[in-house]
This record gives sequence, C-alpha cells and structure tokens, in this order.
Amino acid sequence: MSEKKNNVTLEEYENEFSYKKSKTNLNIEFNRIAFIFFVFLIISTIYSIQLLHLGSLKKITNNIKPPITKKNYRADIIDRNGNYLVKTVDSINVGIHPTKVIDKKHLLLMLNHIYENMNLSRIKKKLDQDKFFYLEKNIRPKRYEELMMLGDKSISSEASLIRLYPQDNLFSHIIGQIDNDNNGISGIEKFFDEELKKINEPLKLTVDVDIQFLIREELLRFQKIFEAKGSAAILMNVNNGEILSMVSLPDFNLNKRETIKDVNYINRITKGTYELGSVFKTFTVASGINEGLIEPDTEFLDSKKSISCGKNHNIKEYDNKMPTDLTVEQILIKSGNIGSVRIVRKIGIEKHKSFLQTIGILDKIDFDINEVGKPQPIDWYEGCKLETIGFGHGITTTILQLAKGYSIITNGGYDIKPTLIKKNLDKKNKRKKVLNNGVSKKMNTILRKVVSEGTAKLVNVEGYQVGGKTGTAEQVNNSIYSNTKINTLASIFPTENPKYVLVVMLESTKNNKEYIYEYRDGSGFKLKGSPRNTAGWTSVEAAGKIIDKIGPILATKYIEN
Amino acid sequence: MKKAIFIAILISILATSLVKNSTKEIEDKISVVNENIRSLKSELGDVLLEYNYLSAPDKLTQYQSQFFEKDLIKIDIKKIKKLTENNNHIKISDFLEKNNDE
Repeated sequence: MSEKKNNVTLEEYENEFSYKKSKTNLNIEFNRIAFIFFVFLIISTIYSIQLLHLGSLKKITNNIKPPITKKNYRADIIDRNGNYLVKTVDSINVGIHPTKVIDKKHLLLMLNHIYENMNLSRIKKKLDQDKFFYLEKNIRPKRYEELMMLGDKSISSEASLIRLYPQDNLFSHIIGQIDNDNNGISGIEKFFDEELKKINEPLKLTVDVDIQFLIREELLRFQKIFEAKGSAAILMNVNNGEILSMVSLPDFNLNKRETIKDVNYINRITKGTYELGSVFKTFTVASGINEGLIEPDTEFLDSKKSISCGKNHNIKEYDNKMPTDLTVEQILIKSGNIGSVRIVRKIGIEKHKSFLQTIGILDKIDFDINEVGKPQPIDWYEGCKLETIGFGHGITTTILQLAKGYSIITNGGYDIKPTLIKKNLDKKNKRKKVLNNGVSKKMNTILRKVVSEGTAKLVNVEGYQVGGKTGTAEQVNNSIYSNTKINTLASIFPTENPKYVLVVMLESTKNNKEYIYEYRDGSGFKLKGSPRNTAGWTSVEAAGKIIDKIGPILATKYIEN
Repeated sequence: MKKAIFIAILISILATSLVKNSTKEIEDKISVVNENIRSLKSELGDVLLEYNYLSAPDKLTQYQSQFFEKDLIKIDIKKIKKLTENNNHIKISDFLEKNNDE
C-alpha cells in the first residue's frame, strides 16, 4: 500500500489597502448642502438682479419718446444768450407704395380732396411706375392726419429730421449751410461738422441776436441810401476777441437752402481781401510809437505836397490845403499821406513788416469758419512799396484782420484771437503782450481826436467816447484801380478803456443828394446831400447810427463787474 | 475656522447681491428720471424755438408797426439811471459816469 503525501505551504500575505478617514475636515453631507445652497444662491442672485431689472425697464419704455437717431443727428446752435440760431426738429415724410394701391382712381380722388392745387397727372404717372415715391416731405401735422385718416395701406410715413433757422438771413454767413446728406458745406456748419454730429449740448456762439439785427438793419438802410454794391460790419470785444456781431451784405435765407454761386454773396468780413486805405495810417503811427521812434507830439516839418519814389511813382496829399508842418498826432487826425510816408520811412521795412505781422495783418488768419481770405503777398523791396503801405495802399487784408489789428493796438497791446465760439474764459489765463507799454494809451488819445476833431466827426456819438480812423480807397478790379470806392471806418469805444471795436465798410458807394446829415457837434446843423463820396460821409454816418442803437444795449447788458 | 470663512463668504455674496439689487433699482429710477427729463427737454426746446421765432427782433418790429401807431425810440444813454441799494436806501445816479472828455 502506497501513501500520498501532500505538502501545504503557508505564506504571509500583506494587503496594502487599509481604510482611512478622509483628510478633509468637512464631511460629505455638509458639502452637498452647501453646494446646493450655493447654487440656489447664485440662481436667486441672477434672478433678482437681472429679471427684476429687466422687468422695471419694461415699465418706462412705454412712456418715453424714442431718441433721435444718431444717423441724422446734428446739435443745435445758440447765441450767447441762449436764443436758437439753428435747431434740429422732428419731421415726417409721407410717401406712396404704388404696388399696394387697391383702387388708384379712388386714391387720386381722395388726394385731390386733400391737396387742392396738386398736379394729379404727375401723381398718376408716378403711380403707374410702381416705384415708391414721396408725396410730401416735412408734412404739416394737420395734413398728415388727413392722409392717415384715409386708411390706405399704400400710404406710409417715416420720421425724419429737419434743420430750422428761426432767424432766416440774420446769420447766414456765420452759420452756413448743410447738404442733403447732413454734411456741413459752409460756415460753422462745415468747420464744426464732426463736433455738431457728436456733442449732446447746443453749440454756443459769441454773437447776440438783437445786436446783429440792429446792425444789419442799419447796414441795409445805408446800403440803399448810398447805393452800395455790398457792405459789412463787425463788432468785437477788444479784450477777448469775442465777436458779438458779424454782418455781410447781401446775405441769404438759410431756410430756402439755395445754392449760392453769385460772388457778390461773398463773406466780406472774412473772405474778401481789400485795400482799405487810410485806416492803415493808424498802424504806421502805432508801429513808430512801439519802436520808440516817434511820439504823438513829434514834429514833421517842411513836408512837400508830393514826393516821388520808385519808377515814376508820385505820392500826393488828397487835400492841397494840408499844412506842411504837422505833429504825428495831427498827421493822423488830418489823414496826411506825406506825413505817413515820412513816418514809415523812419521806421524802415523790417520793423514795419514785423509790426504788421505781430498784429496779424499780413498772414491768413486762423478762424472758426473755412471762408477765410488770404492777404496778397507783398514784395516789400519793389519800387516804393514801403511808402504806399505807410498810407494804406498796395496792401490788402480782411475786415476781420483789420478789427484784430485795431483791438491789439488799443487793448494795452495784448494779442487776441477773434472767435465765434463762446468759451468759459479763465480770468487767470495770462494774455500775451505783444506791444510795448504806453502804445495803446497814446493811440487811444489820438483816435479819439480823429473823431472829435478830424475826419470821423459824424460818429462822435455823445456818451460813448468813440475813437477811430477813416479809410477811403479806390477799388482794385483786375489789378487796375477803378473809380469805385471802398469806404471804411475802424472805430473803438470807449477810448478811456476800450471794450469794443466796430468796423463798418461800404463797397462801391454813390453820393446821395437827398440824405440829411445831422452834425454831432451840438450845433444842431443839418446838411442835405453828401458833399463827397468818402468814408467820412458814408461809412462814418452809418457807424454813428449803429452806435446810436446798439450803444445802450452794450452799456447796460454787458456790464463787466 | 474654515467653516466660518466659508459662511462669511456666502453671507458676503448674499449681501452683495442685495446691495447690487437695490443699486439696480436706484439706477432704474435714475434712468426713468433721465428719460423724463430728456422728453421734457425736447418739449422745452420746441417751445423755446417757437418763442425765439415769435420774439425775434424782426417779428417784434413787424408787430410794432402793425399794432402800434408810435415808432420805437432809441434810448438816450444819458437818460438811463442807476439804482444802488445801500442800507435799505435806494440811491439814484446817472448810469453814465461823467469824465473830462465828454
């Protein structure tokens, strides 16, 4: 018998798995509750913020007007007192979809009832073309209501915007025009095109509606009296360059939106460049005083009646009775040509050129509209250019630059920038002084005497201390001097402490035999008919009447504390 | 400690959502007021435009000649007087100060 042997081997087994407690301190139950609570919190937060908010917005949308579409938006323009010069208003255009017309005859009959003078054959022709057309743009509310009452589905309306000019012609040269695509094409509308499309508040100008109206009325009157081809006037604050009024005639009605092609409609203040004659003598005297070469009492003795210079150029006095011995002050009061030539020769080319550049006469001016003229370049070394410039011939500039020049000379010698845009001027902002001390005081005294004793007596309006200088120049047509005149007065007031400069220009004037002049010397003397076609009898008279009317407004409305 | 931080965060979120919600409500009110102002501004603009048109200097001159017999007169600056109040006393003086020049 065999025996079976079985061997059993026992080995020690080591299992690496062992149950351990989670290392986190939070238990699983708390995590679940917190997570659910957190999700619930987030959802409730989103709900409370978003849904409640949207719900509340729904309430207000029913009560408000839709905002003006930015596509056609253009900001309003107001004057310095907040009066509208331009306003964009809502408008409605009504048109017809011919394809939606059910009964053409019936529609034409109804339209004929609403529009008494309508060209029905034209409407019928358009209806047959099956293409949408406008029946009437910028429709009146009453007519719009009548058309809608027809209940015809082919008649549709669309909201649009129109630009209204409540002052019609009054600011045409300043504001300018826009085209059908809402783009500015002239004046402020063009220069500030981008800004007007962006800004929410109205653009505020420095002009005053009442003053502009009064000046325009007087200019229109005197343009008619002296049969002038055109005229212009500017009233500006000499201390900060703010323009209160800028009138150029003829002007145009902005609401008619006509295309202006006639050159006579040029802006005579900013675009037209003119030889302005003796008003430049003020600059000659101021230049000499500024350089310290002359004083108001400096004498120029033994002056000849005429002097020659260059090639066959002869310079004469306009009046043979002009004394041969004159002081600087008397030269300006009597508007002496020879005296002015002697002064400018003493100054010399470089210094006088530099002076005219300093006061902004020679170069194109930086202004708030694009319609700005460029003074003709001068060859200072040609013939007797310096001498003729001394008394205001052979040099051109704009009326705007003339006003700027007179401002700097009379305001203490501070540079200014003429502007049409009302800004919040910082009183602490230091002005740049460009002329020497004492020049303005001396010049203001002389300019006052020109009015009280000299060629501008008709503008000696009592109570305003008006100072100024006249200029009568022959108009240059195609580089040839003609018989027509440019009559100008550049005035400042009050001369004790000048606040305003007023320049009045009448172009191509004629004598008036019927007009009655009332002398302002207190004598009560009246003169019928203009003795001469000069500035002293035309633009000076116009300026006097303008100051008569605007003076009380300027004195009381714009009191500076 | 960590439990306390977690609860604090939750309370902060809750508080923030409440504050945010009340802010939105205020914003809504501001929005409503702004919209109302905008529409009123628009109406005011239309009324002002009408006023400016009807009271424009040329219109007033036209009305004057249409409804009144007498012409408008210009004011003489020498006749304008200035009222100055000082200790309940009103002093009347010439508007135009006299100087040597005039």
